[in-house]
Amino acid sequence: MGQAKSQFTEEELQDYEDLTFFSKKEILFAHQKFKKLAPEKVGHNKNAKLSMQKILEYPELRVNPFGDRICKVFSSSNDGDCTFEDFLDMMSVFSEATPKSVKAEHAFRIFDFDGDDMLGLSDLKQVIERLIGDQNRLPESDMKFLIQNILSEADLDDDGALSFPEFEHIVDKSSDFTNSLRIRL
Amino acid sequence: MSGGKDRKSKNKTKGWEEAGSEFYQESYPTDLDGAIHKDPSAIATLLPSKQNRFATTRRVRPGQQDTKTSKRRQSSTTVNRRKNSTVRRGSQHNEVQVAMLPDLSENLTDEERIWEEIHEIKSMPVPMAQKKEMKAQLQNATKLRLQGIDQIKWQRRKAWQQLQTKWIEFYTKMELWRNSLKTIEGNFGTGVVAYFLFLRWLMFLNLAIFVLILSFIVIPHIVLQEPTDKDCDSLNEPNSTACCSADYINETTNNDFFILDIIQGTGFMEKTMMFYGFYTNKIFGYNAYVNSSVVEVDSPMYYDLPLAYVSVGAVYLLLSLVAIVKAASREFKDRLVEGEGQFYQYCNLIFGGWDFCIHNEKSANIKHKAIYNEIKGLLQAKRMEFERHNRSKEVMFKLISIRLAVNIFVILILVGAAIVIYLLFSIHIEYLKPTSADSPDTSIFKTLQSIYSLNSSTNEIDASNQPIRENRASADAPIEELMTNLFFEFLPYLAIVFMNLLVPLIFNYLVQFERYSPKFVIKITLLRTVFLRLSSLAVLLSRFYILVSNDLPEGHCYMVRTPMCWETYVGQQFYKLFITDFATHIVVTFFINFPRSLLARHSNKKFVKLIGEQEFELSKHVLDVVYSQTLCWLGSFYAPFLPAIAVVLNFFMFYIKKFACLINSKPSPILYRASRSNSLFMFILLLSFVVAVVPVVYAVAEILPSKSCGPFRGLDSVWEAAITAFMKLPLFFRNIIFFFGTAGFAIPCFVVLTLLLYYYYAVSAANKHMVEVLKNQLVLEGHDKQFLLNRLSAFLKQQQEYQKKMRQPDHHREYRNDRSSRADNSD
Repeated sequence: MGQAKSQFTEEELQDYEDLTFFSKKEILFAHQKFKKLAPEKVGHNKNAKLSMQKILEYPELRVNPFGDRICKVFSSSNDGDCTFEDFLDMMSVFSEATPKSVKAEHAFRIFDFDGDDMLGLSDLKQVIERLIGDQNRLPESDMKFLIQNILSEADLDDDGALSFPEFEHIVDKSSDFTNSLRIRL
Repeated sequence: MSGGKDRKSKNKTKGWEEAGSEFYQESYPTDLDGAIHKDPSAIATLLPSKQNRFATTRRVRPGQQDTKTSKRRQSSTTVNRRKNSTVRRGSQHNEVQVAMLPDLSENLTDEERIWEEIHEIKSMPVPMAQKKEMKAQLQNATKLRLQGIDQIKWQRRKAWQQLQTKWIEFYTKMELWRNSLKTIEGNFGTGVVAYFLFLRWLMFLNLAIFVLILSFIVIPHIVLQEPTDKDCDSLNEPNSTACCSADYINETTNNDFFILDIIQGTGFMEKTMMFYGFYTNKIFGYNAYVNSSVVEVDSPMYYDLPLAYVSVGAVYLLLSLVAIVKAASREFKDRLVEGEGQFYQYCNLIFGGWDFCIHNEKSANIKHKAIYNEIKGLLQAKRMEFERHNRSKEVMFKLISIRLAVNIFVILILVGAAIVIYLLFSIHIEYLKPTSADSPDTSIFKTLQSIYSLNSSTNEIDASNQPIRENRASADAPIEELMTNLFFEFLPYLAIVFMNLLVPLIFNYLVQFERYSPKFVIKITLLRTVFLRLSSLAVLLSRFYILVSNDLPEGHCYMVRTPMCWETYVGQQFYKLFITDFATHIVVTFFINFPRSLLARHSNKKFVKLIGEQEFELSKHVLDVVYSQTLCWLGSFYAPFLPAIAVVLNFFMFYIKKFACLINSKPSPILYRASRSNSLFMFILLLSFVVAVVPVVYAVAEILPSKSCGPFRGLDSVWEAAITAFMKLPLFFRNIIFFFGTAGFAIPCFVVLTLLLYYYYAVSAANKHMVEVLKNQLVLEGHDKQFLLNRLSAFLKQQQEYQKKMRQPDHHREYRNDRSSRADNSD
């Protein structure tokens, strides 16, 4: 930890503490984890930009079906490559202290594959496909039936897609959502 | 993709460079043009309601609109934040006042406001670089210094917040088993972690109970000077409390079998603070006995141990109840918010189905599989629903008869188990009772050593009803005999424990025939197993009851055929059961299941795999923990150190279960949800709490305490201690309390409570109706909007086409089109 400490000034740490849901200790710990992904690169430059492949080596992200989406959403350059600040943002959103609304916001963008600010049919289909994994296949009719059920539950204005308020509405009522969208540092 | 991204970033930069309420007006028109040129139907995505917060990032200086949105957001999050928002409203008020001052521009906000805003940046969904910029801008902004009382208030809030973060930091550092939880979570997901959190919660509950007992019973007992005892006057009153106590205390104990004593709670253990019998009936600071009716107060300061004993008992039961209800109500509230039943089951599954904490390849695969199964199951259930309504009568009849048969069989098994335990317990008592029924050879219950007097004890029995002294020579008994005795000593407990292990397997097998839905299968097997455990406990308790409920013969210290101090005896039995239970967990986990899992891992044979592979069955493990907790509640009145033992054993239990979970089992293909399993745990715990409390309360209120031991010797019931203490209160208080018991208080109170209940029922019904209405309204609005948008986009398309045609070089065609489109428009 001593090494990590020397890479940040007290001011930077204070900034990070104010701007994330972490304490200073946790921020340093997060940096350690970040450094582990690419020790040399981060050793030279504490805020080095790591490629998406490198970031996806983080255990929780590696097995996460939405790993690449997460990287893209948090990447400040929008291509999936993350600096430490992006990584810290990511961890902060997935931390325990983060309120549901913030998590919902990011979850919505993670699930929104085509970036049209709506979870349309293709988005939902991709989400489901990723969730059940490569080995398992749902027959086309089941998939349709499932999506139809989802929309009938959540699509309040019947436009065939979930907008953010609709999504937030579901998430508000789901007690599992905060639990599942959590990565312990 | 590109269009959306473009717009987003444009919004973003615009959004927060722009100030004030012109935000919407200013940023939308430019966007609108761009988007509409590309695709007129994209207009729907520009509606404010379709935007997420990322797209409409707030400006730095919130004006009217912004506080509205942020307030809405805050109210939807935690209580803590809600508190913040009320505070904010206060500060807004301040701002208004400030704004009224002539010299100050409206932009100038005070320090507190800025400080609050800096804290709010963290929940904004923008990259860190932007957040930093925002913070810097906020810090550099000109601000009003707070003065006077506001300054002090703000400082206090700042300090308080700092303290809070410090505390959270400290707490997370101290958090027990943090790493273990992470590992478990990474491999098994949140549902299983909820179980371990539950285990930890129970440990802290036991710790709280023990601290209570320690500080109000044990420590006073050690620290305070016991008043001098009146000597036993064995000539005149051979059966006075003093004599009986002396009798009990003077009874020799044999320390030859140290280890045996420890596991049985006998011998030297018996006369320690471990058990009820050791505690005194004296009031510290008094010079008299508690049971003699007239008590002279020597000093104004006194400590009434019997009263403390009974009230601590009441308090820790109450504490447990409150803790359970509090935890359960939280779960219950969550369930309620989720809507009626499984309202959002599909959305929950899709959007909250993946545990982001999973970090293990293998578990991830299983998780995929589990979600896949759950989806299929849900769809299947949905389809089956139609079928179920159309099920033919014949099939229905067959199914019902099968279910009936299975249920009868289950009940038979339960009854059979109860009978077996009863018989074994009788054998246990008979075996340990070497002499005929008329000789009250009670000491035998307490010490194993006394069993050795089996052959010779008849010589030792005096004519009187005094218990025999142990035969010290018996310590030389051969080891086989010792083992048989030990076996008989533990026989009923072993039987209970084995029954708990085996019978659930039968239940699991039987439930397959009943063809319930998978979720219901879990619930019903769990319920049956709970009944099994509780019924075995009930038999045990009733056996105890028969043992102690005999009338005390006139002029005797002990009842016929009961131990000298039955409370201690009961405490010992629970202690034994507790230890046996824990030992079986160790044995089963490390010596049975561990080899099994090793076999499964290193062998490829199908049969071996079938035996060896095990899943972490949540319900079974929950039962284990709840059962030991029930024992703790039942026993801790008679063995005050039982909660302490429970804390220690819970601590080790965590590691045992962790071993069982991580090493022995593979992740279960059933999807456990944290919320669902939590409410299940609390329900079972509540059930067994009720079962545990009833006998304890009955014993406290009704059963005659032993004359020779414990804090309540000589009283008619334990509760009498509380009543005598109550009678010592000033008349005024007594009258008040009595008033609560009269009809004059009870009836109005009842009426008021009923009215309140009705009121809340009406409110909730009205709210439910309101929700319905609003939902319908929302749907209607949605349709309206859809309609308007369609009209609008059709119009825009038309206009575009029109413009395109206008630009065409052919003048004639343009003219013709112009006319035709004009005709269209006029339609």
